[in-house]
Amino acid sequence: MLKTEELQINIGPQHPSTHGVFRMLVTVDGETLVDLKPVFGYLHRNHEQLGEVNTYLQNMPFTDRLDYFNSMVNNHAYARTIETLAGVEVPERAQYIRVIMDELSRILNHATAMGFMLGDMGAWQTALLWGMREREKILDMFEYVSGARMMCNYCRFGGVVRDIDDWFITELKKLMQGLPHYFDDFEGLLLNSEILLARARNIGVLPKDLALAYSVTGPVLRGSGVAYDIRKAEPYAVYDRFKFKVPVGTVGDVYDRFLVRIAEMRESYKILEQALEQLPDATGGFINPKVKQQSLKAPAGEAYARVESPKGELGFYVVSDGTGSAYRYKVRAPSFINLSALADMCKGYTIADVVVILGSIDIVMGEVDR
Amino acid sequence: MADALTQLGFASWLSVLIASIIKVTLILVGGSVGMMFLTWYERRSISYMQDRRGPNRVGPQGLLQPISEAIKTMTKEDATPRDADKIVHFLAPVVMLGATVLSFAVIPWGRMFPVDLNAAVLFVIATGGLHSIGMMMAGWGSNNKFALLGGMRGVAQLISYEIPQVMAIIPVVLMTGSMSLQKIVEAQNDFAGLGWYVFSPVGLLGFALFFTASLAEGERTPFDIPEADSEIIAGYMTEYSGMKFAVFYLSNYMSNLAVCFVTATLYLGGGNGPGVDALGGIAGGLLSLVYFLLKSFALFFVMVLIRATVPRLRVDQLMSFAWKFLLPLVLVNILSASFWVALLRWDQQWPQLTEWFGAPSTADATNWGRLAIAIVLTLLINAGAVALIMRLTNRNVQKHLYTTDEELALGLS
Repeated sequence: MLKTEELQINIGPQHPSTHGVFRMLVTVDGETLVDLKPVFGYLHRNHEQLGEVNTYLQNMPFTDRLDYFNSMVNNHAYARTIETLAGVEVPERAQYIRVIMDELSRILNHATAMGFMLGDMGAWQTALLWGMREREKILDMFEYVSGARMMCNYCRFGGVVRDIDDWFITELKKLMQGLPHYFDDFEGLLLNSEILLARARNIGVLPKDLALAYSVTGPVLRGSGVAYDIRKAEPYAVYDRFKFKVPVGTVGDVYDRFLVRIAEMRESYKILEQALEQLPDATGGFINPKVKQQSLKAPAGEAYARVESPKGELGFYVVSDGTGSAYRYKVRAPSFINLSALADMCKGYTIADVVVILGSIDIVMGEVDR
Repeated sequence: MADALTQLGFASWLSVLIASIIKVTLILVGGSVGMMFLTWYERRSISYMQDRRGPNRVGPQGLLQPISEAIKTMTKEDATPRDADKIVHFLAPVVMLGATVLSFAVIPWGRMFPVDLNAAVLFVIATGGLHSIGMMMAGWGSNNKFALLGGMRGVAQLISYEIPQVMAIIPVVLMTGSMSLQKIVEAQNDFAGLGWYVFSPVGLLGFALFFTASLAEGERTPFDIPEADSEIIAGYMTEYSGMKFAVFYLSNYMSNLAVCFVTATLYLGGGNGPGVDALGGIAGGLLSLVYFLLKSFALFFVMVLIRATVPRLRVDQLMSFAWKFLLPLVLVNILSASFWVALLRWDQQWPQLTEWFGAPSTADATNWGRLAIAIVLTLLINAGAVALIMRLTNRNVQKHLYTTDEELALGLS
């Protein structure tokens, strides 16, 4: 055999496809990956410490900045934690609104995430820009209800900050008319492409037991063949009232994660349809009027609440000592925990595969570094 | 052109010199201006495929965008890394561009030939092969790991794909009996200018193979591995900025253009088309130029379509595609081209063969009968080879995904 020398390469923190300021210290033998060491912390913002200084309401806009693609879901998870802690009732209409926003977030997240992954694979942005087009439409809806496109800050303890009106519902229905076409187009673009199959099948395989050992969640876990979805396992909000399926992969490779995400977008669409149908009228109110938002004090104790964010299980753990701000505040960020399986998924594949595998995990550095 | 100048009263050496200078200027200006608007064309077409507008602000329809970008790159700082091999780093873009411009010398513009070389086909391939030297120089001279990886990938890719590319031309050379591009164009002028090689089974397969291999030679998607931006930043171009980067870019696009020109000449009949012969003279020449550019830009549009759609291959997949897929098909195509020539041109092309072996058995049949036999035979061989290799490389596509809607256990058994 030819004697070869191993080469150490830094992929990141400034690199076109590390999805932010993530750095991979990669040891390669030719093109084959021998070792990978993830290095992060470049975007550390002291989020958890801030959460212990802020009052409960002050912390709500900070949760937007965790996974900045899905601020609605972050708000929901945080609001649910504080509601559990303080024992706040949430009106039914607010629950439905939250579900609608969550599912819209899921669609926009998966659309762009899969676009970015195909971009990493070298498909020159077409899939990405089609996803971005749908994302823009959804962000317009978010802007209408919350006033901001990405940093929505929409949930409040016991409800949401503003009600949705008829205009929103008509516009949402118009938007949803276009979505199935988008799903079909997106699938039709590359789903059975020979090159995509060659690049994605049996690449970055994460076996079921390893996925469980790393406590990976979300589409990555479901791609590995574990049918675990918090919307089914522990139905929060009003998710027990909808009929939807949980797509599950069989191999646990990049292609499975790709398929799972496309199928999840279709399921989200079904949930949206049902939620719009069942949406109760405004008589019940959209927020619990008894809650003092600004001076909310939770009794001493602790609470953990979680939601199925598009990236996996997003949980907030809050310990209260009876004052107006948290004593201890911890975020269980799905991106961070899914990322821990990266090195094991990448070993033995080539550099070209590493960026695709990273794209298929779908990380957001705001959530990883906090 | 030199003859016309001599008739005007110039000394013969002077008229050759003037004619050469005019030709060189036309090639250089035509090539680089053509490249500029090629970038505009590519960006605008991709934009429409992606539901956006593309550059439309500078000039009418954004046509002056490439000029503003040329000014931008020229005024940018030209940085050289401290530990780079300065001479090699400087020379790499020059070598790349030089090789590309050389290939333009023999490319016919319709029926107008700058230089009619009798081994023009070899010349085009050889100048294309020089690219690997430029890439290696850039990759090595930059003293950057990404550049080195890109340069290595580039050289490996170019060397692998030159073989199917050259061998895909052999059928054309066999069928024409010449390596001169002019002769090749003339040979495709039958049937009122529509006797293009692409309409024969041999030419069709050859066209597909040559164009695919050329995509790899020109580093176009899905073979843009040496400059895969999502993996190794910009490959061998990583450490280049300003004018040197612009020269790399220019060279890339010019070589893509050259590939389109060569493909159009070899397989799509060059400037041949209905009406060219009927018009004749300067009008016919201009019509042939229009035909030629239309064919070339249609080919470039195919490149753009591919770029906007498919992901890129991995390095090992690229290699196995070249050696396990393209090469066998190319060899089969040479075989069927030999049958084609043997059936159709035996007595005309190589009279000595007729002397040695006697006239071909179908010599007394009409030309049409021979043509039909040749088409059927080569079609059978080529279609059989394609079907066989597709079958051999086929994978079993299993159903990956299933969905469940029962109340889920945690799945943690």
